[in-house]
Amino acid sequence: MTERLLEVKDLRIEIDTRRGPATIVDGINLHVDAGETLGIVGESGCGKSLTMLSLLRLLPNKIRVAGGSAAFQGSDLLKLSPRELRETRGGKIGFVFQDPMTSLNPVMRIGDQLSEPLIHHRGMSKADARKRAGELLRLVGIPGAEARLDAYPHELSGGMRQRVMIGIGLACEPDLLIADEPTTALDVTIQAQIVDLVKDLRKRLGMSVVWITHDLALIAGLADRICVLYAGTVVEDAPAEQLFAGPAHPYTRGLLASIPRMGGAETERLASIGGTPPEPGRRPPGCPFAPRCALAEDICRQVVPKLASMQGGSAAHRVACHVTSRALEAA
Amino acid sequence: MTSVPLSAPLPEDPPVSLWRDAWQRLVRNKLAVVGLAMVLILAFAAAFGPMLTPYDFLSQDLDARNLAPSLTHLFGTDDLGRDVFSRVLYGSRTAFLVAVVVTAIAVLIGTTLGAIAGFFGGFADRLIMWFTDMTMSVPNLLLVVVINASLKTPLSQWMEAQYLATLNPIFRETVWIDFILVFGSMALISWPPYARLVRAQVLSIRSRPYITAARALGLTNRIILTRYVVPNAIGPLIVSVSAGLGTAMVLESAFSFLGVGVNPPTPSWGNMISDGLRVWQHYPHLLAAPAIVLGLATVAFSFLGDGLNDALNPRGSK
Amino acid sequence: MRIEAIRESAGLTKPFLEQFLNYVLNLLQGNFGNSLSSGRKVWSMISAAAPVSFQLGLCAIILTALIAIPLGLIAGLNQNSKLDYTILGSALFLWAIPPYVAGPLLMVGFLLVLPGINMPYGWGGIFDAKIILPLIVLSFQPIALIVRQTRAAVIEVLSEDFVRTARAKGVPETLVALKHILRPVLTPVVTQLGLIMITIVNGAIFVELVFGLPGLGRLTVQALTNSDYPVILAITLIGSFLVMFSNLIVDVLYPLLDPRAADSMKGR
Ligand SMILES: Nc1ncnc2c1ncn2[C@@H]1O[C@H](COP(=O)(O)OP(=O)(O)O)[C@@H](O)[C@H]1O
Ligand SMILES: [Mg+2]
Repeated sequence: MTERLLEVKDLRIEIDTRRGPATIVDGINLHVDAGETLGIVGESGCGKSLTMLSLLRLLPNKIRVAGGSAAFQGSDLLKLSPRELRETRGGKIGFVFQDPMTSLNPVMRIGDQLSEPLIHHRGMSKADARKRAGELLRLVGIPGAEARLDAYPHELSGGMRQRVMIGIGLACEPDLLIADEPTTALDVTIQAQIVDLVKDLRKRLGMSVVWITHDLALIAGLADRICVLYAGTVVEDAPAEQLFAGPAHPYTRGLLASIPRMGGAETERLASIGGTPPEPGRRPPGCPFAPRCALAEDICRQVVPKLASMQGGSAAHRVACHVTSRALEAA
Repeated sequence: MTSVPLSAPLPEDPPVSLWRDAWQRLVRNKLAVVGLAMVLILAFAAAFGPMLTPYDFLSQDLDARNLAPSLTHLFGTDDLGRDVFSRVLYGSRTAFLVAVVVTAIAVLIGTTLGAIAGFFGGFADRLIMWFTDMTMSVPNLLLVVVINASLKTPLSQWMEAQYLATLNPIFRETVWIDFILVFGSMALISWPPYARLVRAQVLSIRSRPYITAARALGLTNRIILTRYVVPNAIGPLIVSVSAGLGTAMVLESAFSFLGVGVNPPTPSWGNMISDGLRVWQHYPHLLAAPAIVLGLATVAFSFLGDGLNDALNPRGSK
Repeated sequence: MRIEAIRESAGLTKPFLEQFLNYVLNLLQGNFGNSLSSGRKVWSMISAAAPVSFQLGLCAIILTALIAIPLGLIAGLNQNSKLDYTILGSALFLWAIPPYVAGPLLMVGFLLVLPGINMPYGWGGIFDAKIILPLIVLSFQPIALIVRQTRAAVIEVLSEDFVRTARAKGVPETLVALKHILRPVLTPVVTQLGLIMITIVNGAIFVELVFGLPGLGRLTVQALTNSDYPVILAITLIGSFLVMFSNLIVDVLYPLLDPRAADSMKGR
């Protein structure tokens, strides 16, 4: 039995609007085992980033956690003291953000940006941290690593900048690395390089990875397990091979059907699913996907389906759908 | 023949709801509402105040000199026995008159030059922008003083000559000289922000693809200006004008304070403050009354301007 | 006639363009002409008055930076809190009070506390305690300006992704504020130096008058009263030069503050 590293339960996130609070993330349950790579997939705007940001209390203004828990190494991330929170951020959990253009401080040398977590978590001196920063740059595959320490972000290409971001996330050898669409802003060839880099590092450092993406194809060879999010809820959670072999949720099937569009814009509508996800605060009473679902029945429009293992299927393959779970049962 | 669809995405003027939204944002902002109320009260005082006061701002009562504030003289009387309340009220008329006229002239000059610079570009643009930058980089108070000082003598000579030629007493009214000088010199330093604003709007709108396409089909500059530039520029322009009115009021009082603005006996807050400054140890009300009212007026405009800025540029500007 | 003789000797009977050219030529030789009222050389009047104003102005700039930048940072970091409203409200208030109103009123207040002994009037050097009050009054408007600029810049930077990155790295909040927020904020704030210079040059005219300081500001007012054009013109030129000089300093400093600008300049 593998060890649970992170277990998120019933996480709810709300945003303050002029008409009062609106739910963005509606009771998400997910977990990450030690050494495991979890892929989180879903259309843009379904709450992937906010879910992960909320764990380290990095939510933007007006957006807050409204309930739930996130057990991580024996304590609840959502209840950490400011000091524990600081030790966790960058120390135990590393973060890699989507846009390497804006996520690095433009007026700070990258050596200094890489040194910061080392100085604050490891208590390293400036000189030691700088040496280690050079090693990190080599680790993430930046040619002429030491020479780049004094460069500013704008002097590097997008791919190089994302490597620096990954270096920052890995600086303190965290137990968990959260990568939020780290390749979306990059060219297709660079995307593959970054995926390979993380694959390689994950093995070497023995850490768990949460990789957020809207692109199922990208994580096919990377994730051990995949969570599919729709409108702030988990609709399917399965080991990667099982998900690709037999997707159970109509939404996942739609995602898979539209796969050969690697590198397409994030906003691109799903080819095989008409319509758009519900806006926060305007979710339908039943299954949030029902209005777009070809298989929807009356019950779907009234009762929210629970995430449950499919009877007759693997226990690890769970889906939140009235219709397909029943169909499998009958089969 | 390839045709650019004219019905294609030509955006409409800002929809009504945009203005309603802005208005709602404005009235939710308490400071802005306070500012707006104060500006309206001042405007009312400027328009009708002098008719409502029991005293004439010029009538002297040598038996009632330097009186402290009381019920008969709300703000007391000055060293000539004139009612300070009436004078402050009349001062608001002076202040508003100068502020409105100066801002109007400045907006006219500024938008014209800005539009020319934006539409014609090239040499005209460079020349106008050079001029704008120069004007903005000279300490404005000193510039007004220089313009004022160098125009005063020729203007009074001209007026004198006109009087001698026509015997029309209008040319004997030195008040006109003051006003023309004050209006003129202040307007000559106040236009650059408007020029910059309008030029930036013109440039940003001209560079949009649908305008480029439509120009190929003969969309005239006039239509671009009236249909696209003006509706887009009106929000920032309102904000600038509100700030400009406040600035012009302060400038007017500053010049009157220095004795190069509106001259006595026409009451101006500035010259009342400068008179009050000579006797404030004995009659503090003579300094306090105009100073406080001037302070309130500028605070009101700055609250209102800030609120307008937040309401009309909700994404945060500057 | 006497006036004609004066006009003649001052060259005022010559055509305008010739007068103007003569003035410029003289300027280039460091000759500002003579005062119309006292007959003294304008240059010597200015060089006597300038040190007072320059010291006052320089101290006002330093005071402004020391007070306004921290206040603006605090206000921006606590956006929409009571503290923010207090700071912002005070700034709006200070901005709206012209120095010729603030000066006298503060003097009244000062007199009430310390009757008559040490009137803050006149010049006793920059290290004399009497300078404190005029210095504060002169700094009011620049402080208000910079508090608002800093606050706006902080709010803008706060929404930047790299601030979130800094927090995600576990950098303590105070260091996030100083290294990741204040540092980028300084760039746009420093560019306001020219604007501050204008405010200070304008303010000095009134402050020096109100507090009896023998600087360029008071010289301006005296020249105005006497319609002493050569003096007014010379002071205006110096004031404009100061503002342009500050803008030049900003241009030189800017690449040091923003490495992106440094590169685009090298590239040129
Ligand atoms: N800063 C913000 N302000 C307002 N709404 C936001 C903000 N960030 C995210 N949201 C809302 O929250 C929803 C989820 O956002 P996010 O987690 O970023 O989606 P994604 O799955 O693309 O990462 C979006 O639909 C968006 O409307
Ligand atoms: Mg996202």
